[in-house]
Amino acid sequence: MARTQYDERLTTLRTDVVLLAETVLERYEDAVVAMATGDTRRADQLVRQDDEINSRYLALEQECTTLIARRQPVAGDLRLITASFKILTDLERIADLAVNLASRTEYGAAEIHDTIDIRTLGMTAGEMVASAVNAYETETSDACRAVAETDTGLDEDCETANRRLIRELIAERTTDSHDEREPAATVDRTTRALLTVRDIERVGDHAVNIAARALYMIDSDAKLLY
Amino acid sequence: MSETDITPDTGSTAATTTAGESDEQARDAWTEYRAAGETKLSVEDINVWYGDDHALKDVSMDIPEESVTALIGPSGCGKSTFLRCLNRMNDRIKAARVEGSVEVDGTQIYHPDANLVELRKRIGMVFQSPNPFPKSIRENISYGPRKHGEIEKGLLARLFGRDDTEAETELVERALKQAALWDEVNDRLDDNALGLSGGQQQRLCIARCLAVDPDVILMDEPASALDPIATSKIEDLVEELAKEYTVVIVTHNMQQAARISDQTAVFLTGGELIEYDDTEKIFENPESQRVEDYITGKFG
Repeated sequence: MARTQYDERLTTLRTDVVLLAETVLERYEDAVVAMATGDTRRADQLVRQDDEINSRYLALEQECTTLIARRQPVAGDLRLITASFKILTDLERIADLAVNLASRTEYGAAEIHDTIDIRTLGMTAGEMVASAVNAYETETSDACRAVAETDTGLDEDCETANRRLIRELIAERTTDSHDEREPAATVDRTTRALLTVRDIERVGDHAVNIAARALYMIDSDAKLLY
Repeated sequence: MSETDITPDTGSTAATTTAGESDEQARDAWTEYRAAGETKLSVEDINVWYGDDHALKDVSMDIPEESVTALIGPSGCGKSTFLRCLNRMNDRIKAARVEGSVEVDGTQIYHPDANLVELRKRIGMVFQSPNPFPKSIRENISYGPRKHGEIEKGLLARLFGRDDTEAETELVERALKQAALWDEVNDRLDDNALGLSGGQQQRLCIARCLAVDPDVILMDEPASALDPIATSKIEDLVEELAKEYTVVIVTHNMQQAARISDQTAVFLTGGELIEYDDTEKIFENPESQRVEDYITGKFG
């Protein structure tokens, strides 16, 4: 593989990672909206579409392996390929989390839980992923650090949401203790909401991982990895 | 510290990508000294001319003991010239003129009274093409120690009761074992060395170098004429030797430098040492954009 072809393949790799990220992000945001609006049709569609993400992820991972095997990359090339390799894994996990959200969507449920704003939490995490991928694409190290800072706020919001959900569950069990069915439904609803908050928080963590790998690629700075 | 007074560094601060600036930053960053061990070879402001051709310019570097230091760079960049400065092999080239200082364990090798025979015994050299003597495997090993008077053999030695056959046998076995060749040749020590394969001949040359008990081993592309299996054996051997010896190796194979060396020095066209640092740093995040372009194959 001549240097020109190699350069083309490196450029294509980066472009394909960004394209995969755009698809993953679109699916994730659709999953958040589907969950918030109770759109089970779109949710089912999202679950079925996950195979496509997996096969694109595996193809790109294979491309990284091939480039390592055939070119023994060093320096900036090495950092681009290893960062891409790791970012791909994060993207695949975000797609899995989108499937989790879609699987939890219930028909007609306007909100998963009326006391927490899933859509806002979900979109914040989505914006973090978009910023991290953009930083990877445009090689902007400041943007990588900004993603890590945003995550602190998201973690706090998720923690607040979790506390509120648990507090309300306890309060409802106290007031509705005479009704056997209602507490069970409340527990299910709260569990679903807690798991959703956890998944969104994890999407934020994956966004930070992507930003950390991008920062390593750009500046060989591994600070965000720890 | 002069502009090219280069020592290995632990820092990981990235440099900008402007060629001139990043070269400067690369040099400036190498102020914090961290060697694998004590300095074995200390080179300061070495300049070499071949007639009017200024082949090596103001090169300074400290080479730590018991480690592998790789010298890489495009053809004609001065890396072999630099290697030959380390045991004054350039003295043998009439047109060559060397200025500067090379110290081994603090002793100046370019001192007018330096004993060149002793120097080259202490700093051995292995060349690109295996060059065994057209003698037996045993004689190839014992030739050096016999020349240095460390082993006496033959009729006179026997007459005066100084026959060192036993010592020679031990020496041959030790050197061949150190060079990972003993198992392959111990049943044919009296066969002609030229009957060995290329890889075996090269390991014999390394064994021959070890037989005179050097401190430093200089290798000028020792595996470039060998197949991948023989190359792998040489590389394993180099790593093993670095536990006891200071190895300095010139290689065109950057993956080889990345595999086996502790420090890497990158020379670029014009006889300049551009960057010298831990091998991991050079191959993961070099300071100099010119070094990055060279090791990634964008030029050179």
